[in-house]
Amino acid sequence: MKCDIAVVGSGLAALVATRTLQQAGRNAVLIWPGLSSLYFTYATVDVLGYSDLTTTQPVEQPEAGVAKLIADHPNHPYALAGLDALRSGTTLLIEWLRAAGFTWQGSLARNLLLPTAIGTPKPSCLYPESMAAGDLQRDEPIVFCGFVGYEDFVPELAASNLSRSWGRGDQSVRAIRVSLPGFDTSRLFTSIDLARSFEDKAFRREVASRIRREIAIDSVRVGVPAVLGLTHDTDVYSSFAAEVGHPVFEIPTLPPSVLGLRLFDRLRKHIQESGVEMIWAAPAHEAEVSDGQCRRIYLKSAGREHPIDARAYVLALEDMVDGALRAGVHTVVDPFFHQSLAHHAVPTERTDESLFRPQPFASIGYAVTDRLQPSAGDGHPLARNVFLAGGAIAGYDPVGTKSRGGLAIATGYRAAKEAMAA
Amino acid sequence: MITDEVGTFSDTVEEAAPVEACTKCTACNTVCPVARSTEIFRGPKFLGPESERYRSQPEAAVTAGLDLCSGCKLCEVTCPSQVSIQEYIRRAQNKGAAEKGRTLRDWVLGHTRLLSRFGSMTAPLANLGNRNPLVRWAMERVLGIHHKRPLPRYQWLTFERWFTRRPHNKTARRTVAYFYGCWVNYNERRLGEQVVAILERNGIEVIVPKQQCCGIPAVVNANMDLARKYGGENVRRLSGLPADVDIIASSTSCGLMLKHDYAHLLDIPGAEQVGARVYDICEYLWMLHEAGELNLDFQPVSTRLLYHAPCHLKSHGIGYPAMRLLRLIPGVQLEEVDEGCCGISGTFGVKVEKYDLSMKIGSRLFAAVKAAGTDAVLADCETCRMQVEHGAGAHSAHPIDILARAYGHG
Amino acid sequence: MPDTTTGVVVIGGGSTGAGVLRDLSMRGIEAVLVEKGDLASGTTGRSHGLLHSGGRYCVNDLAAAIECVEEGRILRRIARTTIEDTGGYFVSVSEEDLAWEPRFVEGCAKAGITCERISVEEARRREPALSQHVRTVFWIPEDGHLDPFYLVMGNVESARRRGAQARTYTEVTGFIRDGNQLTGVLTRDTMTGEETSIGCKAVINATGAWAGFVARLLDVEVKVVPVKGVMVVLSHRVAHATINRCHKPGDGDIIVPALSVAILGTTAVKVPHPEVLPIEWDEVRHMIEEGSLMADGVSTARAMRAYAGVRPLYDLGAEAEGREMSRNFAVIDHEQRDGIAGFTSIVGGKVTTYRLMAERVTDLVARRLGVTTPCTTAEVPLNDRDDELDQLRHRPAQLGVPKPHGGERPLQPLVCECELVRPQDVTPWFEDAAVRTLEDIRRRTRTGMGPCQAAICSYRLAGRLVTDRHQDGPTATRAMAELLETRWRGVRHVFWGSQLRQAQVTTGLHLELFNLDRQLMLQAEPAAAPEAVGARQ
Repeated sequence: MKCDIAVVGSGLAALVATRTLQQAGRNAVLIWPGLSSLYFTYATVDVLGYSDLTTTQPVEQPEAGVAKLIADHPNHPYALAGLDALRSGTTLLIEWLRAAGFTWQGSLARNLLLPTAIGTPKPSCLYPESMAAGDLQRDEPIVFCGFVGYEDFVPELAASNLSRSWGRGDQSVRAIRVSLPGFDTSRLFTSIDLARSFEDKAFRREVASRIRREIAIDSVRVGVPAVLGLTHDTDVYSSFAAEVGHPVFEIPTLPPSVLGLRLFDRLRKHIQESGVEMIWAAPAHEAEVSDGQCRRIYLKSAGREHPIDARAYVLALEDMVDGALRAGVHTVVDPFFHQSLAHHAVPTERTDESLFRPQPFASIGYAVTDRLQPSAGDGHPLARNVFLAGGAIAGYDPVGTKSRGGLAIATGYRAAKEAMAA
Repeated sequence: MITDEVGTFSDTVEEAAPVEACTKCTACNTVCPVARSTEIFRGPKFLGPESERYRSQPEAAVTAGLDLCSGCKLCEVTCPSQVSIQEYIRRAQNKGAAEKGRTLRDWVLGHTRLLSRFGSMTAPLANLGNRNPLVRWAMERVLGIHHKRPLPRYQWLTFERWFTRRPHNKTARRTVAYFYGCWVNYNERRLGEQVVAILERNGIEVIVPKQQCCGIPAVVNANMDLARKYGGENVRRLSGLPADVDIIASSTSCGLMLKHDYAHLLDIPGAEQVGARVYDICEYLWMLHEAGELNLDFQPVSTRLLYHAPCHLKSHGIGYPAMRLLRLIPGVQLEEVDEGCCGISGTFGVKVEKYDLSMKIGSRLFAAVKAAGTDAVLADCETCRMQVEHGAGAHSAHPIDILARAYGHG
Repeated sequence: MPDTTTGVVVIGGGSTGAGVLRDLSMRGIEAVLVEKGDLASGTTGRSHGLLHSGGRYCVNDLAAAIECVEEGRILRRIARTTIEDTGGYFVSVSEEDLAWEPRFVEGCAKAGITCERISVEEARRREPALSQHVRTVFWIPEDGHLDPFYLVMGNVESARRRGAQARTYTEVTGFIRDGNQLTGVLTRDTMTGEETSIGCKAVINATGAWAGFVARLLDVEVKVVPVKGVMVVLSHRVAHATINRCHKPGDGDIIVPALSVAILGTTAVKVPHPEVLPIEWDEVRHMIEEGSLMADGVSTARAMRAYAGVRPLYDLGAEAEGREMSRNFAVIDHEQRDGIAGFTSIVGGKVTTYRLMAERVTDLVARRLGVTTPCTTAEVPLNDRDDELDQLRHRPAQLGVPKPHGGERPLQPLVCECELVRPQDVTPWFEDAAVRTLEDIRRRTRTGMGPCQAAICSYRLAGRLVTDRHQDGPTATRAMAELLETRWRGVRHVFWGSQLRQAQVTTGLHLELFNLDRQLMLQAEPAAAPEAVGARQ
């Protein structure tokens, strides 16, 4: 198959790149190897939560934080993509979300602190409307509300943790549980089942009234697991919040993540319905390069190899997890150019002894030129018309600084721009 | 990893059993149309990779709840680790059926070809019967086929017979073999006629080798032995074709069986080579276009259309060639509706206990189709078309139908 | 005055200690077991879970082999639910192996081990996983898998029903003596630091590789040689039966299908201390390479983690090293040997013969206490919870059948989806005082032992610590982090392919989505002031 620009990937970087191309009137094809394994991390889009790995002090202004990071670390993927790419990409994403019928809020100017399912404040600057009321920079007391029999969000755990790091006295944070009408607690139900039930008006109303009954006092806000509707989240959220009578906010749960599902489902559907062709079930590999240009890549689907001939390629995959890199026992290779990206005599070298410290494996990736082209590390591109975005770029470790979303936006946007110019 | 030879432990990672690649990210459960529509289904992650670890135990019973999997394969296309979730579920379903036996209904539905042959031979009577409430009531009681599910109309003149009777055009640049499938043969000969006309219009000779049911009805009704038998016959016959003859299918699911499932699910010897030269009709025509060989002499077709991509088309991994083709036709206004699975999944939505679920799965699609109010809904898969017609009351057609009209074969 | 008194204090919560506790209680002797960690957290829980037919010892260690034969048969009667009767293959893949065969056949005959030579074709028909390198095969029907956790818990539960006590995380720090007579032990809670004393008439040192340290508190020497063994866990069973190399026992020569996984074992390296068990890459690699000589699919399977255990080999003074040393055991009567009345050690041996070891040492102690009730552990089944203990392999089918027409058995929820652990499997343990950490829950239920290595279930367990155990959030969160961290230490050794991708999912979930790294930092800060959360506006 022939196309103008092929975008490979399924995470936010791939989507931002595809949208950038679409907005510029280019004929992009989105090659989708399956939903990103890390889809569940996209409850919010985090640009920069912490300036380094050891601080507990969140970054207040993510844009300023990124600018400082770029100044301090000229080889950081943020620096390679550039602050402008982050700004323009963010604007594009926010507008896109609006066009796709989503009400997201936030900006690069300010991080909110939103409680996680373990009750930890987490800095995020782009978030769905349904999470906004959780901001811990606001003062109202919080009631975490769980559902009887649902273990993928535990309000008692969240409340107990948060009450120690936030609030004034024990009354500021508390936990309640309500039972769900028609749900037998001895049987399995997942966030998907709950989200579907919340789309039912009568169900919603009944749950809201049970919550109201549990909360006798005024001026509190209610944190519930993020199950307020599978897809039509905005309607479900606003009518539910109105019925509860207090500000309501969603908190991301264990997977299956309804927030991640809503975001990716909606953006993918929107971009497809607005005319971008998507090739499903197509893991890509093997870049054929001649005269410094990539002539084709191959998709492996339905048991055979499909060639894709494009003028330019954006490879926007998330690390190993989505097949951008393959980790052998000793060597990490890239499936497109067959470079050896890292070699470890002993597999333990890839990790820290502790799960809670930065992991060497997270930074493994493709060296890139200042235009995000893959390179052998010498500054020269392996192919002039291939551009990288997302986790496959070397030195890209968003875990400790909580910057996965911003990096995806900045690199996705920049790679798309470069692909257009190629 | 792979061990190249004794004792060496090579560095490339290629885990043999892809089931082991599951990282529990649960992406599959978020897209599963059945899991999204009912709480009585555990979802693909559990029934596929998670249960598979236990199925390797000699005395382990088959996981309960398997039969609710409709076989749409959306879990597989969504899995970032490329786990063949469906294949494990199918194998387990089959093992369960082999041990516990099948219902008469599932046996019958697995033998679609026999059924269709009978329906076609007795066409007027069968069609009358299929629309008779009393007969349908009896079918529901005896066979477990839901009385509300419209059954396809059978035609007396099969495609096979039509094709052998027609004059043969031999002046061609190229020859393809047409795998028309049971649907075209017994229910929608016209689609087959259009496929032949379009290919011939592009200077391609069509031959029709003798063929058997592709076997997918048998696979989804837990009868893999039967599917393997059918598939084996097809592979044997199609293998005999000259090497330069490509194979064209106009049904999404038949095509997927030939391309992929014969070799990977059913382990039919020789299937890989056959599969490598199978193309979906629209995929093939688009390849012609990219090679500059497609006749673009289209008459304008003034129509507003909605395109629904069948789930199994997504598994082909070829994008939506039908949309690309139809956008070449002047006058065609084409939009995609992306509301996921239509819910019928072949024979799944025919069954009395699954009819309601099937309609629930399709409800988002039906609503979108009704709201769009286009002239027709296009889908490459025949059961999707049946379901959309039934659920949304809309007219539906194969994309080839529009192309045929543009060529003046409407 | 000691804080409490009992008849006998048993030190050590492995299979031997648990077996002794049960034996004492069945003879009507009051007993308390103290264990410095959790039950089955030492040698027993880190074994490869092979129920020895005796085939591995029949050439070099006939006495041990004969014990295995007898004890294996007894365990099949009394501990049926902890055993999976897989049977085993002894395969030859090299000339050396073939040369070993006559000795093996002879050894089996001497030890009374059922051993049948079968053709390679027949063997492969029964067990398709047997590799192409396999030249000859013996079928040993009495090899099997013995679940070490269920075995210990089953013994302790049985003893508790008869009035015995088991105290975990309780370390012996000293002894109370009245002249030459031991009259009690001093203990310290390893978590809270709380010190207590238990008065008793006798103490049994059943601490295996740690026996020397306990004995040293009394200035008595017990020479135990700690020999490390490294094992690799594959994420599925690979084979239906155990597979052994038919040769002089060596490194990497056994594959045990254990419930949902396969365990490759093992190495034998003398270590200076039973708790210094480094896992070397060469050992891991060797396990996989050697395993793949015997069975296909070993090198292509997903390696899930590696772990190390320590064998408590008793030094009988011979020159033997590591595997050459006997797997036999000895009862040391310190009254006779060292003049300390009321102190007895039981050393050496292996999990398969734990019951016999317990019987022998209990015989001696009971006699000294003047109890004449005979041992009945070989006859009375271990527990009454048979039906509950053997369900894992049947669980997939039991987890609920949706029947759209008519009554419907509900789909049961799961706490751990990998290992099919249901809430009812977990809940009772939260009420057990012996259970202190989530690792303890794991040992009792298999929660967190599957491919995702607790990534998902750790959150649910932490939640239950708060709701069921009424712990505060930070404590529960630390427990969750510790469970993940303990798992991580084992997984690190096999970080390639799927397991490395899995690691990204784990960090994505806990560190990114939950912000667990910051939570731990906040908890570690001296006083979590409101300012720690950022300026409020």
